Amino acid sequence: MSDALVFEQVSKRYGRRGVKALDDLSFRVPKGAICGFVGPNGAGKTTTFSVVSGYLRPDSGRFAILGHEGFEPFALKGRLQVLPQDADLGNQHTPRELVTHLAQLGGLSGAEARRAASDALDMVRLTDRRDKRIGTLSHGMRRRVAVASALAGRPELVLLDEPTAGLDPVQAQSLREVLADARGQRTLIISSHNLDELERLCDWVVMVDHGRCIRQGTVAEVTGRSSRAVWRLGPGDLPLDAITSAVPAHRFSIEGRELHETAGPEGDLDASSLRIARVLAEHGIAIREVRRGQSLERTFIEDAGR
Amino acid sequence: MLRSLLDTLLVARFELMRALRTWRALALAVLYVIALSGATYIYVRILWFIEAGLAETLGVPMTEKPGAMMDELMDNGELQRMIREMSGTPDAVEYLLTWPLLAVWGLWIGILLLPFLATSASAECISIDMSTRALRFEALRTGRAELVLGRFFGQVGLTGIAAICGLSGAWLVGMTQMVGNDPVFLATGLAALGLRAWLFGLPFIGLGVAFSQLTASPNWARVLAVGSTAGSWIAFGLAREFRDTSWGWLCDLVLQVLPQGWLQGLWTPNEWLISGLVYIALSLCAVGLGFVRFARRDL
Repeated sequence: MSDALVFEQVSKRYGRRGVKALDDLSFRVPKGAICGFVGPNGAGKTTTFSVVSGYLRPDSGRFAILGHEGFEPFALKGRLQVLPQDADLGNQHTPRELVTHLAQLGGLSGAEARRAASDALDMVRLTDRRDKRIGTLSHGMRRRVAVASALAGRPELVLLDEPTAGLDPVQAQSLREVLADARGQRTLIISSHNLDELERLCDWVVMVDHGRCIRQGTVAEVTGRSSRAVWRLGPGDLPLDAITSAVPAHRFSIEGRELHETAGPEGDLDASSLRIARVLAEHGIAIREVRRGQSLERTFIEDAGR
Repeated sequence: MLRSLLDTLLVARFELMRALRTWRALALAVLYVIALSGATYIYVRILWFIEAGLAETLGVPMTEKPGAMMDELMDNGELQRMIREMSGTPDAVEYLLTWPLLAVWGLWIGILLLPFLATSASAECISIDMSTRALRFEALRTGRAELVLGRFFGQVGLTGIAAICGLSGAWLVGMTQMVGNDPVFLATGLAALGLRAWLFGLPFIGLGVAFSQLTASPNWARVLAVGSTAGSWIAFGLAREFRDTSWGWLCDLVLQVLPQGWLQGLWTPNEWLISGLVYIALSLCAVGLGFVRFARRDL
């Protein structure tokens, strides 16, 4: 699969002696993925988005967007769209006027832009407010207007910086559904502190900290869904030796009533689970729960805290 | 190229729509209407005063409103001296007397007022969106040059609309406070000479847009732009004053790059177009100077 976005050793410092926001940042996002862009405050997420959007110029390194070197507005017209984190929409226009204008600037004809704006505003459930002045809308509604502007038309790559910030739970859920519907049709890169949300939505994760990429890959790889399992077991002596003999390719450890299993490169958690279950049954130990991998949040806390 | 042009027009249209919905645009138009109408009213009273003197000299009865003795007024040396001083171009008096007097007055007031109003309004057109980061929505979808040019043309349109409103006020004063004015002739005169005042305003719009690109603080941009406009008048006065000294070469150079240095052309039948073209060039140069910084800055 080709990549929608590639960063190679990109650095950006604010001011001559200021903070180094990006420090040789390298990562990639495959085309068609819904990518979670994760990092603590000040990790460089918004700076990365700003570099991709052409708002900031990197000091060094290279990056390619949809096969184009660097940010080139005319080559990427309508193909790249961004929801900036804290950009104001202005108060004078209506949502319909603003989204139509931005869609036209994105390369659509007048009629296409009007249709795209109407569809996008329907998508974020703002149909009944589309002709009200933006200045009269609530914070959540303004946020939805901004999301509509990012989704209007036929963008191939959409960057969303904290898309659900300021939305109530119902609106946030509705937006997650909209984003999930885009799976396979366009590449979405979503920056958010809500890691549960990202884990449910995304299939690719890039973790950044101090301007560097600390981990990237599919959600399954990053959280260890394909390589780690935790068995929560009932009372009784845990037969660690018997389990290790039954599945010699995997590593096991015990924490309280939990059996932690780590598969090697050639390991297969599906095959091992049958053998482990058989050993446990033979020793009369109940299986209360089996979890694959660990949550994205726990992975992130472990990695970022290192 | 075509795409660039289209983007520029789209940004200009949006900028104009936005500007027309802000209280600042309304303030610009209202201020210009009040200033031009008020100044026209004062001018009408001055004409009435001159006419009163003429009527006394000729021993004819005075009318309630001025305009009844327009032919005699045109031959009056005092009025011709006034027009000569206003235009700074003695040769143009005869030509200017072929236009309605109110239109000539409108041009003079426009030359004085429009630069300040234009710079004040245009100075915030980019800086305000840099401060709120609203510029990011458009900056993602088009080039920075198209963005800046679009904003500039939007401001040009806004100033044009303010000028039309102001001239309409002057026309109304002329029609209600004077007698003998042909409505079409007065409107044509105001429009034709108003166009020249608007052309003179272009470099100052460019100046405002230039400062708007330099700073994300709209207030600071406005202070710089209005200050520079005032400075340009001072520089113009000094350059004319010291033109015949050993610094004459510098004064000539300053007059070439100052919009005021090309003012005399606006009062003449043939050279106003050349001055207009110079003003277009100067305005684009000013925008371009600001763009040197804007093209490289982080948004």
